[in-house]
Amino acid sequence: MNEILQHTIRFFILAGIQILVLNNVQISGYINPFVYILFIMLLPPKMPKAIVLILAFIMGFTIDVFSDSYGIHSSATVLLAFLRPKVLALVSVKGGEDLEAIGIKQLRINRFFTYSGILCLIHHFTLFYLEAFRLNEFFDTFLRALYSSVISISMMILIESLFSNQKSR
Amino acid sequence: MRNLFAFFFRYHVFFVFILLEITAIGMLIQTHHYQYSRFASSSNSWSGQILEQFNNVTDYFSLKKINRLLAEENALIRNRNLQLPALEENIYKNQHQYISAKIIKNSYNKRNNYLTINKGSMHGIENGMGVITEDGVVGIIRDVSPNYATVMSLLNKNTIISTRFIKSNHFGELIWDGKSHQFAQLNSVEKYVPVNVGDSLVTNSFSNIFPEGITLGTVNRFERDENKNFYTSIEVALSVDFSNLNYIYVLKDKLKDERMKLESKNE
Repeated sequence: MNEILQHTIRFFILAGIQILVLNNVQISGYINPFVYILFIMLLPPKMPKAIVLILAFIMGFTIDVFSDSYGIHSSATVLLAFLRPKVLALVSVKGGEDLEAIGIKQLRINRFFTYSGILCLIHHFTLFYLEAFRLNEFFDTFLRALYSSVISISMMILIESLFSNQKSR
Repeated sequence: MRNLFAFFFRYHVFFVFILLEITAIGMLIQTHHYQYSRFASSSNSWSGQILEQFNNVTDYFSLKKINRLLAEENALIRNRNLQLPALEENIYKNQHQYISAKIIKNSYNKRNNYLTINKGSMHGIENGMGVITEDGVVGIIRDVSPNYATVMSLLNKNTIISTRFIKSNHFGELIWDGKSHQFAQLNSVEKYVPVNVGDSLVTNSFSNIFPEGITLGTVNRFERDENKNFYTSIEVALSVDFSNLNYIYVLKDKLKDERMKLESKNE
């Protein structure tokens, strides 16, 4: 019960940060960081995969509604949720089945960096190419996705390290 | 039959994934039909309310600047009224009604930008109306709910605005390449048209969205290739500062129905 509450609160905090703060900030040119995907990344590994997919859709849809992007966030976040177990298998011994939760504390910083980095790149590249919806802006979109990913990953690791510190105290 | 269920159960994660992706991509493809209003937009009454509440808080920080801008605009309108000859008070001057609205969500750093305003169908706003500020064109109304509406910004790959040069009257199409919120690109300008840096562009009367003569911007840079029929690129410095929008006007064309009825007879 406590765990469900924790994830629900995280959903609202991350969606709030994204909609009210990050969607309104412009960081040098066309960089758009998206940190709400941290919610999907931190869901417990034992959670049924179909539920993770549905939660990912709900999160993506919420962001879509508030940023008038119609389906691109939903689609990219569902893809991220689908590939999550495969990326988790890369960074943990038993495919993550042995882990109670995912975080810097459980995975250590270097494996957490790999895990969140790969998923973030997948999400951002899907997102930006769906947004452009054509290939004649291929190089611009590529740079846009890459720069935004760098900022997103740094922000997510910062947020996660702040939270995990609080828990250990 | 049991095998079939077993098959579905075994791959249920994959099926859920495919189902959700089809839903999401379906929503995305639907955006390419302008006429249909969409369910999932920030003009929704509940998402509109959340955005408006937040905007009410942040508004206090820009009150001083808004006051100054309104005062300047007042002065401008007063001056213009003094110069207007009485004869021009005919039906063409009254063809457009201005509805003022406040922006509660601004966006200019994405590939496709939409704004949300705090007025909707209850105030007479409809899909396809033009949106301007005192500086020039902002965009076109997209989705409308009773109290809110979304505006497809000029900074959107789906927005094309037909323009003309003030000096030469030649036609061009204004689009945005997604790079800087200060510049847009002008297409379909034939090579014989004289273009100079600093030439002003305004809307033309071809479309029934904007009235003729609303400012868009000035030519900032252009490239010409002798082997092609059209200019390879013309960059236009936009007159509206999209990073700094607070209040806008929605244009209601009273004669739009009449014009559309007439034009549809030709089809």
